[in-house]
Amino acid sequence: MYIYLPIAEISMHIGIIIGLGGGVGFLSGLFGVGGGFLMTPLLIFFGVPPAVAVATEANQIVASSVSGVLAHMRRGNVDFKMGGILLVGGVIGSSLGVMLFAFLRELGQIDLVIKLSYVVFLGIVGFLMLLESIRTIARTRKPGARRTKLHQHNWMHGLPFKMRFRRSKLYISALLPLGIGAFVGVLAAIMGVGGGFIMVPAMIYLLGMPTSIVVGTSLFQIIFVTANVTFLQSVQTQTVDFMLAGMLLFGAVIGAQFGTRAGALLRGEQLRGLLALMVLLVCAKLGYDLAVRPDELFAVELLK
Amino acid sequence: MSLVFRHFLATLTLSLGFALMLAGTAAATGRLVADLSQKDFSITTSFHGTDLLLFGAVDGQSGDDLIVVVTGPPTDIAQRRKANRAGIWVNVETNIWKQAPSFYRILSTRPLSAIATPETLAGLSVGTANIRLEITPETAAPNAPKPRRNDYINALQSNMANLGLWPVGNGDVSLAKDALFRARIALPANILSGTYDIRVIHLRDGIAINEDQTSLSVKKGGLSAQIYNLAHKYPALYGIFAIVFAVVAGWLAAAAFRRG
Repeated sequence: MYIYLPIAEISMHIGIIIGLGGGVGFLSGLFGVGGGFLMTPLLIFFGVPPAVAVATEANQIVASSVSGVLAHMRRGNVDFKMGGILLVGGVIGSSLGVMLFAFLRELGQIDLVIKLSYVVFLGIVGFLMLLESIRTIARTRKPGARRTKLHQHNWMHGLPFKMRFRRSKLYISALLPLGIGAFVGVLAAIMGVGGGFIMVPAMIYLLGMPTSIVVGTSLFQIIFVTANVTFLQSVQTQTVDFMLAGMLLFGAVIGAQFGTRAGALLRGEQLRGLLALMVLLVCAKLGYDLAVRPDELFAVELLK
Repeated sequence: MSLVFRHFLATLTLSLGFALMLAGTAAATGRLVADLSQKDFSITTSFHGTDLLLFGAVDGQSGDDLIVVVTGPPTDIAQRRKANRAGIWVNVETNIWKQAPSFYRILSTRPLSAIATPETLAGLSVGTANIRLEITPETAAPNAPKPRRNDYINALQSNMANLGLWPVGNGDVSLAKDALFRARIALPANILSGTYDIRVIHLRDGIAINEDQTSLSVKKGGLSAQIYNLAHKYPALYGIFAIVFAVVAGWLAAAAFRRG
């Protein structure tokens, strides 16, 4: 059965939409990432205009993150204080990101920036995660392997406005999560993602948060960042397709529940290794598309 | 004879001649009447493209031809050209086709080349190359060579054809007993709402002898239209509504799974 999407102004099969939502939702629950970095390119692939895909995906991630964070909250895996500071940064960053998005769209370069951001950030994050998880897996298999320090002290620990985050067992400058939140917020708005795939590694490797509470805290702040993007895109560009988001989230919230359960069965390093492979795959695909001569050198867009 | 009077006579003669010529054409060709199976329809949530039947009567002879031109509502079309810069393919220029038809389809009794000469078709403004589209540069690389119009219009035609909006090929018009004609007009799912003009041209021996016009009104309707209107008239409300819906849906799903 086909359904006509009122904002995207295309007709799509309802099975494809719900299937996309379910599949990506499962992975999002599994890895604690919004899943946007998979969904946005997939929506564009299925013919949704890039601007609509990015804005609509933000709306859908609000729902899947709410659904995901509740499960983590029940297990006490959310650091609200850390999440609160991250989200203040995230709201500032994503507001800037939406403005930047509108500007680049006018220049006709939004597609390039979206794709380049994907290639660069997915590439870096995927590569680092893969290395780390391989190292961890190798180490756990070796009996009597030595334990490394929880985290090293460096310049970041000299920053002012130090705060104690009890749940994260950290005493660090508030500027760190604020800056990370802002940076990921900009990317979230431009790439149509929640930013979990950058936020999660940043929390683990830069902030040194315990892995167990990283996913829940990331989901918590993503809710607010993507809600902010949804609102700003609705007002500025009218590109949030409520009907598309509604059907995607129907699939996604169900998928995310299964994903969260499946995630409990896997070890942290295994999860990160799998996520890394998936991230690198998307990165490679987009990089390939940028480097290879396109079939059509010209492209058109109807400016309604 | 004064100059003014001579001028008046000349004008009168010309006008009379023109009127006689018009009367002659009408007498020679008789009637052409076209109509659509549906004069309007709505793009609702279940819309997945539609088929319309164009039908009518013509006072024709053996060997006559009909050309049907369907033109969708005009819209600006941004055309971007990619080039390799530092190893990656990027958009290097943007041109805007001003008020180009969002949909364009030609149907005919025989292939166009068999019906009339390219000059005749150009004179009749039949074909996207013949409708005087205006292109204006939006952004271009400094010192870029001037766009070669033919390249750009060919690319536009090809891109629009791929989108299904300027489909090419021999759309069939069947003409029965040189009098009754019918044609199926297929409209894809990605058409814009607005007024669609349908021209029917009657040709004999490669020359247009009569023409009729009808139109089709496409509107957004139902839930689809309501969502669209809400998004454009009350964008802030729409944004808040979308967020609240997402939060409630996410919470409901989590609650449902917790019990289950």
